[in-house]
Amino acid sequence: MKIGVFICHCGENISRTVDCPRVAETCEKIPGVEFSIDYKYMCSDPGQKLIKDAVEIHKLDAIVVGSCSPNMHERTFRSAAVAAGINPFLVEIANLREHCSWVHEDVESATQKAIELVRMAVEKVKRDKPLSKIKVPVTKRVLVIGGGIAGIQAALDVANAGYDVVLVEKEPSIGGHMSQLSETFPTLDCSQCILTPRMVEVNQHPRIKLLTYSEVEKIEGFIGNFKATIRKKARHINEDICSGCGQCVSKCPIKKKAFSSFEEGLAYRPAVYIPFPQAVPNIPVIDESVCTYYRNGKCGMCVKACDRQAIDFDQKDTMMVADVGAVIVATGYKLYSIGKQPLGSKYKGYGEYGYGKYKDVIDGLQFERIASASGPTSGEIKRPSDGKEPKKIVFIQCVGSRDPAKGISYCSKICCMYTAKQAMLFRHKVHDGEAYVFYMDIRAGGKMYEEFVRRAIEEDHVNYIRGRVSRIYEENGKYIVKGEDTIAGVPVNIDADMVVLASAMIPHDNAPGLAQKVGIPYDKYGFYNESHPKLKPVESTTAGVFLAGACNAPRDIPESVAMASAAASKAIILFSSDSLEREPVVARVNEDLCAGCFYCRKVCPFGAVEVRDIKDMNGVVYKEVAYINQGVCQGCGTCTATCLSKSIELAGFNNEEIFAEIAAL
Amino acid sequence: MDNKEKHIENGWEPKIVAFVCNWCTYAGADLAGTSRLKYPANMKIIRVMCSGAVDPVFILKAFERGADGVLVSGCHPNDCHYNAGNFHARRRWDLFHALLDFAGIEKERLQFSWISASEGKKFADVVTKITNDIKMIGPFKGYQEMNRQFTTEFPEQEKEKLVQQCTEAEAVNG
Amino acid sequence: MDELRRFARELLLKKEVAAVIGYEQVGEARTRPVVITDPDECRRLVLNEYCLNNLVVYLNRARIKALARSKEGIRKLAVVAKPCDIRSIVALIQENQIRRENLMILSMNCHGVVRDFGCEFNGDNLAAKCISCNTQSSTYADKSFGEVREIPKFTGKLEYDLSEIEQLPPSKRMEFFREQFDKCIKCYACRAVCPLCYCQRCITDKTIPRWIESSSHSRGNFAWNIVRALHLSGRCTGCGECERACPMDIPLSLLNRKMAMKSKELFGYESGKSTDNPTLVGSYDQKDSDELFM
Repeated sequence: MKIGVFICHCGENISRTVDCPRVAETCEKIPGVEFSIDYKYMCSDPGQKLIKDAVEIHKLDAIVVGSCSPNMHERTFRSAAVAAGINPFLVEIANLREHCSWVHEDVESATQKAIELVRMAVEKVKRDKPLSKIKVPVTKRVLVIGGGIAGIQAALDVANAGYDVVLVEKEPSIGGHMSQLSETFPTLDCSQCILTPRMVEVNQHPRIKLLTYSEVEKIEGFIGNFKATIRKKARHINEDICSGCGQCVSKCPIKKKAFSSFEEGLAYRPAVYIPFPQAVPNIPVIDESVCTYYRNGKCGMCVKACDRQAIDFDQKDTMMVADVGAVIVATGYKLYSIGKQPLGSKYKGYGEYGYGKYKDVIDGLQFERIASASGPTSGEIKRPSDGKEPKKIVFIQCVGSRDPAKGISYCSKICCMYTAKQAMLFRHKVHDGEAYVFYMDIRAGGKMYEEFVRRAIEEDHVNYIRGRVSRIYEENGKYIVKGEDTIAGVPVNIDADMVVLASAMIPHDNAPGLAQKVGIPYDKYGFYNESHPKLKPVESTTAGVFLAGACNAPRDIPESVAMASAAASKAIILFSSDSLEREPVVARVNEDLCAGCFYCRKVCPFGAVEVRDIKDMNGVVYKEVAYINQGVCQGCGTCTATCLSKSIELAGFNNEEIFAEIAAL
Repeated sequence: MDNKEKHIENGWEPKIVAFVCNWCTYAGADLAGTSRLKYPANMKIIRVMCSGAVDPVFILKAFERGADGVLVSGCHPNDCHYNAGNFHARRRWDLFHALLDFAGIEKERLQFSWISASEGKKFADVVTKITNDIKMIGPFKGYQEMNRQFTTEFPEQEKEKLVQQCTEAEAVNG
Repeated sequence: MDELRRFARELLLKKEVAAVIGYEQVGEARTRPVVITDPDECRRLVLNEYCLNNLVVYLNRARIKALARSKEGIRKLAVVAKPCDIRSIVALIQENQIRRENLMILSMNCHGVVRDFGCEFNGDNLAAKCISCNTQSSTYADKSFGEVREIPKFTGKLEYDLSEIEQLPPSKRMEFFREQFDKCIKCYACRAVCPLCYCQRCITDKTIPRWIESSSHSRGNFAWNIVRALHLSGRCTGCGECERACPMDIPLSLLNRKMAMKSKELFGYESGKSTDNPTLVGSYDQKDSDELFM
């Protein structure tokens, strides 16, 4: 085998601390190296031409490039190799920049290390085998998990591009948190008015299969070929017959037993209910936990009310399987619960603010419901405790956010804006009202955002106080908010009628659980990780699974929508060809040597290992061996290290190659 | 004079190998480079796809090839590119480390870390730490004695000739 | 003993099993494994303190498996197994090597065995694994023979004490094991008797790449013995056959016992206890210790 070694100076980036000509000279002496040269910029056009010419003149079979990290230019040099007629997998990169010249100062030891790194690469490339890309078919259907604004947008985009979508929402209706909001910043347009048409469009779209009140049970498979199992929870209403007339809802005798989660606990709902008037689909759900029928088998008022016999008490959860090629995860967020935290929670809570103890200390979403025309107060600002109009409201920002002592270090991003909006809405509705906002910093980065906050301060005369609130307590029917104005340097006591806490955005409690089902990693809070923070913001690290909206990090509506469209277009790109090409770094079993212990099957994170029977001439199975599905295997190599008989090899990183690298130390 | 100074005075530099996963630690090492952090030049990296793919025999091989210390590093738990490769690795290393420890290989010789793609600083710190640790305990005499049993020192001239022959043989055999 | 012979004969006569793997007496203080297919030969079977071998190893042998295979499918095999040997069966079932439904396990109520053939059975000569035995009978077997009797109290002295070796400084431990491993002649008797060493081609026999140097010099010996112990970590059931078979008297079970202790200490795992347990290798817990990792 004839190997060519190409040492890049990277301008001066490598050559400043590594004596590149000496590396090239020394490496020429390594057995097998036919040609060795150093050059100013290997990645440049002349640099690549140098490779091509050298391959031709010296009849090279393999190439080692000593340059920057393979994460930068491995692809460049592989293409150069292909252009020169060499298999792209007979190219190895010695990382002389990030792992050598940039991190060492002494020229002698850096040069020595560079030589050794190149030698390791040469020894590896000698054992490298030519590989070719693997083709896998693509199912052109997308599973969207979560029916908030991000999921809705993603589903519509994919469907409008002409592909089928399965949209799964765990609540009885799509719409998510956006459907709860009264107005949206910075335009103060009505949230419902812009969202509802989208929800209806989803429901009517011929390419979207909407599964509400459903949850993803598990996802198997791999990019282009996922198999999703979805649990459709029993609504106890026959969806095919129900017309959504709501007769059952109005006849239900259970009036004050269950709080409406859509109203954030500010109102009751019956046992059979439609979460909100604009719900899509407009079909009720029976809540087994409060329904009289499920307690003693009596009642049945709703059955009598329904003229279509749509009530079905015996309905059971059903399972369905969907074959999809891509998954878009858009599961959104919940608010940091600011009251007392359950034992063992990683969050500390804000007991000192009295949430949960004082009825008029509420969180941001509750205020949205109070301010909303469709809310429990029909849009009039009234206190939850006595229904009186509050004259003085204190808004507190960063409740939870940016407070490592309470368990969260990040900024929730939307609270500055929605607090300004809520203070404004209050001032618009209660003309003689006073609004105070305690803030740490105003973070109003966004189109028209800063102007919006200024408007709240200057036109609507919202009082902004820079400082934290230490305690809230009740005195003579007022809530005394004890804080500090850090700019004036004086303590502030405000006797408020109501307090609104802008609590942090956190992932849902079951976010890690879903992540494990889908097979994507998450951070310590439970937010799903993107593949690259800058260049791959909507891809998860699992190929074919994309992220949209606040399941990834705190996001506002326009960002969630943009992300959803980006995720949708990623899925559409995936569907642009009938089959996928993927890297051939996959594991393969030597069936002769396999002892059939199936430890590989136990450790495989992707379920890629299958059982294959080896039969004797009578057709009796005398041995079971492992077989790795090339399409499912992601090439981690955990099986190769676990295999006791060493009968699995990972292409591109096989044991012989790694041993050669070790031997070259 | 402490151990470290004694070993350095002899002009000895430890040889350290790191088996790192492609996604986190390798990228973390890249970040250490892009951030121009400085660390000793004793460690050489062998890239594998996942910390779960590192076979314990690789480590024995490294010792056999004269390594004074070995580092295995991957993604933090729950952050594995392959979801669970590092969890399997963790179990494997817990057992293997206990075995080597029992067999009399100093704990410092084989170390483990979780270094994410964003922890360039941690990577530099870990390399510095392990290099210092190894400098402190000195060359891996135990294994080197075993190695010496059958390592013949070639005279310099002979060596070149041998290399020449090897090269020719390779050229002939392809 | 007679009961066992009768039972085994019945099994063969009724063609319930293809063969019976058991022990036969050779000389006064020695037995050897025997594979019986002829019902009349069952009179050779014995059960006593000299039944040292772990016969489970034969269940995975190609020839024995071939005995059970016929055109009609797979027939059962009967095996005589001490309660402690049954742990090997459990481990093999966990590792997909044998199936319970293809097995007839004939066990005994055991009261200990001798440390080696030729010794008189008493407290001095009790096998090491019997000293702290707590599985004198097994519920996993199809049938158990013999009466329950107490194991004699150990009055002998063990050649190597695990806790003493643990106390040594690392360099001394390495010296100790090197000295021991240097004795190794790479006969692989340890591998041949181990029920869990069932690979068709062992890692040490692989040449491309060469995993373990096969000559019996210090380095190759060290690597072989470490890798052997590693591959058995969390799997070894402590039958001690490797050490008994070793012609060079290397205290192999020291390593195995240490790893078994570690498995229990770190993960609360004991191998061969139940087929319901996930195997130690091949499973993980998110809560596994992170102590080793910087």
